Amino acid sequence: MQNSDVPIYKQIAAQFKEDIMNGKIAEGEYLPSIRGLARDLKISVITTMKAYEQLAEEGLVSAVQGKGYIVNPQDREMVREQHLRLLEGHLQNAIESAKLAGVSREELINMINVLYDV
Amino acid sequence: MENILTAKGLTKAYPKFTLGELDFEIPKGFSTALIGANGAGKTTLIDVLCGVIHKTAGDVTYFGTEKDIDREEVREQIGYCASQGFFPAAWKPKDIAISMELAYKGFDRELFNKLCEEMEVDNEFSRKPVNMLKQSDGNRMRLALAAVFARKTDMLILDEPGSSLDPLMRDRLCDRLRDYLDEGNGEKSILFSTHNIADMENAADYAIFMDKGKMIERGFVEDLKDKYIIVRGEPADYDKAKALMLSHNVNRTTFEGLALAENARAFEELSAVRERPTLQQLSVGLLKHAEENR
Repeated sequence: MQNSDVPIYKQIAAQFKEDIMNGKIAEGEYLPSIRGLARDLKISVITTMKAYEQLAEEGLVSAVQGKGYIVNPQDREMVREQHLRLLEGHLQNAIESAKLAGVSREELINMINVLYDV
Repeated sequence: MENILTAKGLTKAYPKFTLGELDFEIPKGFSTALIGANGAGKTTLIDVLCGVIHKTAGDVTYFGTEKDIDREEVREQIGYCASQGFFPAAWKPKDIAISMELAYKGFDRELFNKLCEEMEVDNEFSRKPVNMLKQSDGNRMRLALAAVFARKTDMLILDEPGSSLDPLMRDRLCDRLRDYLDEGNGEKSILFSTHNIADMENAADYAIFMDKGKMIERGFVEDLKDKYIIVRGEPADYDKAKALMLSHNVNRTTFEGLALAENARAFEELSAVRERPTLQQLSVGLLKHAEENR
């Protein structure tokens, strides 16, 4: 297995998060069983488990004893707030890097415009 | 987390080699990889756990309460597969099927034949099936695996199941291991040994690392990947970085090593690249560290 910047469990958690946010997996639905998903994705059980635990930590799902993980009702406003906070952090980092590299405000905005359409 | 197997003070002493003493648990519902170089004691440990040889001292508890591996009920529940010499040389698939049927109540002969077909080796109904002597190592292993997967068990203990298989078959073995865990829905467990984890990374949930009869590290793979980091940097910084790495090497363009993640900050100051290790990188780093510190 190659190293990648993002661990597999985070990639899986991100995919589920997206599916839950845009309603592809509705509230009250169960996520696939941990071992079933591990089998389907050809990854280890512990990796799937860690992905689900992360989703549970973020409050997106809850563990139900003996039944698996159920999707929680989502407070969309709160979720959006969360994303905005994250976005701000990322932009802060981008601005810092831009300053270090001598990239001007206009150039940075230009870069965002180009990347936004990719 | 429940355990399927617990060992306390487990020891096997030979005139020139001692295993242990070992204290460890194998988690229930997961696949555990026993990783170590040749001669680390993996096979000795597996043989002791499966009752092939008797321990010198210590205690092993199976399935929460069972202490006696010689009891038929316990053996029935454990699917053991040796790394070689499974069946007599003159045996053909039919002999294997008959003997397995006699030895184990939970052996499904129909399933055995189906598994042989899936693994592309002769079964009872093949035209002119060859005997064990004429089989390649890989085909012998396939037959042995088919025989063990055709049994109804609660735990698989496999000694180097992937070593003699080609990459495609090893991939299918990993699929089958995950199938087994899925079917068990948390009740079935696996222990397998390997000296090369690269192709079986994604079939291991828990890892036990061995060196010279001792355990040097163990834990859930994702936790171990959080505990350690791989670092890479400029050769000029090697001397400073060396003290913080468990194992390392350097050449003209770069140094690389394994370190504890808690030391990540120090490497940041050296502007070394830090990565989450693969299980393979962890194995190499930890085994090398153990070898250099014997």
